Amino acid sequence: MNIKTVTVIGANGTMGCNVAGIFASFGEAKVYMVCRDLEAAKKARIKATMTVKAEAIAKNLIPKTYDDLEECISKSDLIFESVFEDSSIKKEVYRKIAKYLQPHTVIGTGTSGLSINELSECFDEKIRPYYMGIHMYNPPYNMTLCEITPSQYTDANILKKMKTYLRSVLLRNVEEIKDEPAFMGNRIGFQFINEAMQYAEIYKDNGGIDYIDSILGPFTGRTMAPLSTSDFVGLDVHKAIVDNIYNNTNDYAHETFKMPRFAIKLISENKLGRKSGCGLYQALENSDGSKTINVYDIATGNYRAREKYVFPFAKQMIQELKVGNYTSAFERLTNNHSIEATICIQFLIKYVIYGLVTTKSIGENIYSADNVMATGFNWVPPLAVIDAFGGVNSFKKIAIERLPKDFLSKIDIDEILRNVPKSNFDYRPFFKAK
Amino acid sequence: MQKKIYVLGGAQTDFERNWSKEGKGVIALLKEVIDDGLRNIGLTYGDIVELNKQDKIACFVGNFIAEYYVNQGHLGALLTEVNPAFYGVPSARYEAACASGSVALDAAITKIRAEDYEIALVIGWELMKTVDAKSCGDFLGRAAFYEDEGVGIDFPFPKLFGKLADATITKYNLDEKRYLDNLAKISVTNFANAKRNPNAQTKKWFMNEAQAKTRGTSTNDLIGGKLGISDCSQVTDGAAFVAIASEKFVKENCTSNEFPIVKGWGHRVAPMKFDKKMEESSANDYILPWTRQAVLDAYRRANMNVDDIDFFETHDCFTSSEFVAISAFGITVPGHENEAIENGRIAFDGDKPINPSGGLIGCGHPVGASGVRMFLDLFKQVTGKAEGYQLKIADNGMMLNIGGSATTNYVFIIGRNEVSL
Repeated sequence: MNIKTVTVIGANGTMGCNVAGIFASFGEAKVYMVCRDLEAAKKARIKATMTVKAEAIAKNLIPKTYDDLEECISKSDLIFESVFEDSSIKKEVYRKIAKYLQPHTVIGTGTSGLSINELSECFDEKIRPYYMGIHMYNPPYNMTLCEITPSQYTDANILKKMKTYLRSVLLRNVEEIKDEPAFMGNRIGFQFINEAMQYAEIYKDNGGIDYIDSILGPFTGRTMAPLSTSDFVGLDVHKAIVDNIYNNTNDYAHETFKMPRFAIKLISENKLGRKSGCGLYQALENSDGSKTINVYDIATGNYRAREKYVFPFAKQMIQELKVGNYTSAFERLTNNHSIEATICIQFLIKYVIYGLVTTKSIGENIYSADNVMATGFNWVPPLAVIDAFGGVNSFKKIAIERLPKDFLSKIDIDEILRNVPKSNFDYRPFFKAK
Repeated sequence: MQKKIYVLGGAQTDFERNWSKEGKGVIALLKEVIDDGLRNIGLTYGDIVELNKQDKIACFVGNFIAEYYVNQGHLGALLTEVNPAFYGVPSARYEAACASGSVALDAAITKIRAEDYEIALVIGWELMKTVDAKSCGDFLGRAAFYEDEGVGIDFPFPKLFGKLADATITKYNLDEKRYLDNLAKISVTNFANAKRNPNAQTKKWFMNEAQAKTRGTSTNDLIGGKLGISDCSQVTDGAAFVAIASEKFVKENCTSNEFPIVKGWGHRVAPMKFDKKMEESSANDYILPWTRQAVLDAYRRANMNVDDIDFFETHDCFTSSEFVAISAFGITVPGHENEAIENGRIAFDGDKPINPSGGLIGCGHPVGASGVRMFLDLFKQVTGKAEGYQLKIADNGMMLNIGGSATTNYVFIIGRNEVSL
């Protein structure tokens, strides 16, 4: 697929701007950056060069506004729509661009979870074969995942060519995902994050938010603890993702997508997370310039200093990971029967199970969830967790021993773990010694 | 006839990893690379214990300056913290700045050739991301004559290799723009090659010729004279491991006789200070005559010449050092290196590819590991194990690993063993 000219609509948003940088650099494409006003577009252009650390691509980036749509769209081989995550707004944009589209121009939407089928129906039948979901992760320069989702009308040959382009030219880690709410990465990732949030409410008297984050910290296979991730992403975005999944899917983990009340209350108070100054956490600047991190105490409804919890299992795991004793680190975890170690083990096992179930239902193959979670979230991928636990037999034994009976009754663990291969990812770099 | 030295294989860590960010230290680094290396060559820690009982095994550790980066010396003995199997195993650290890996390899090869041991484990490593960029540059300044060339100078090495660029332009009366464009192409080729290498530090990074030529901007700052960031190798954490063995060991322990052998080597030391190098070479055709001599020594010992070498791994700590390596290898005569660059001869699909791995610019440069990493890459290419970056023709490969401002020069040739055991 020869893509020389791209129009990014909504290019001043975080993803629009970043994706424009990817097209202009790796893709060496001329990119029209369409924004509401020219000033915003000019700022986005500079920002886009910085996202790929290359000012030389600035000549490929052309600031434009919606008034220029006719010129941009008619000259483009690919349109990347990255406007606000609202189907009526997206459809409005589609109505505007449809009349300018050249035959064979591909249209990709950056939606992180709206129905591709529904959105595609906004176009007439001639255009629909060229429309698909192209969902990248933030920031795409570091996170190479690209979830590509065809609608029922997408032409298979165009989809195939687009996958090749994304893979070989833009160097994306491409996974074709079925048209399901939130696609795959956010479905698996926010299952974990939202259930962690529910646990924070359940364990509010043990400390709540920072208590759960300390149990599921970087030593469990991620760069950032789950509730810190939610705070970073924004509670409003988190809610939009889990509501979409909760309202439009129905699998065994359905109830884990229900956002807890305390978080809904924080959103109503505009305490959305890092972007609004406070949310689950609150960063306060001290007079010497250093920062104190406070945490929202669910039990009292106030912010308080973050606790430095010392759980023996976590301390021991971190000590072992520091010197590269991975096997011993997992033995420290699985041999520990404290409430905290049990929560940690259960979360890791449930993550694997949900990952495998999801990959089988909406992914290309058994490795899809691994690719998605490693390259989109930078989390240890599900199959690699099984490897870290000593392989399938050992993993299954621990799962049966440590998961609650009512959970096991909802799933067929033998079937889920049947013929599960080793991961293509090395689990070691994911488990941080902190 | 010289006794054959066999290369059994090894492993390297993913140079993209930042071990400080992972909260892990040198023991974790060494455990991973040794675990992986032993697995790849089919040796266990139990085998090490048994071999050591018979005094047949020794370890050789290459590292430049862990005393500064991680507050640790006595690095040969440190292997005992990796695994008790190393208790009693002869082991020492070897240092020659960025050529530390090669001096460890040289010592190992010598001990095997002398039949003191039958198998040698060589580990090169450096953890550099423990400090900020400025401190890192200052530590590396100790590879020059620190008192004169390092103290109080920000990033001394980019400045020294910037001076090499200036001296190259002057000596060969080169067109400056064309020369700098050649350097940009060297950089882009290394970044592009690294995209095929799963262990490369820059596998996700973007670089093209326009960006490499845009020196003096905020995304490609000038760092040493005319050189920009794009001309510079990376600050990297990493380790590499290789095992080499005697013919006796291979005959008695290995089922395959397909192992490549070390065919030649060269080791020459130039004047420590850069200005003295230039003074000494002023009447010589080669700007770095001792680098050239190390290459010639390796050719002589291997009874080979440049026509016999299918590919090269060179020490592109800066693009200006790869430029002069082209003539040092004999690919072109000195002053005409541009021909090999502009005609694509040194590109991945050229007739004399340099750095299919991505080199120090693309793959990364954990200084004490780089020599061992190059040696491992020669092994991988010759044995067809380089996966995504495998060359079509790779029977014989040459590596050049330099320390300081091309002060220590080490060259090895590894090639297919034409005569079966």
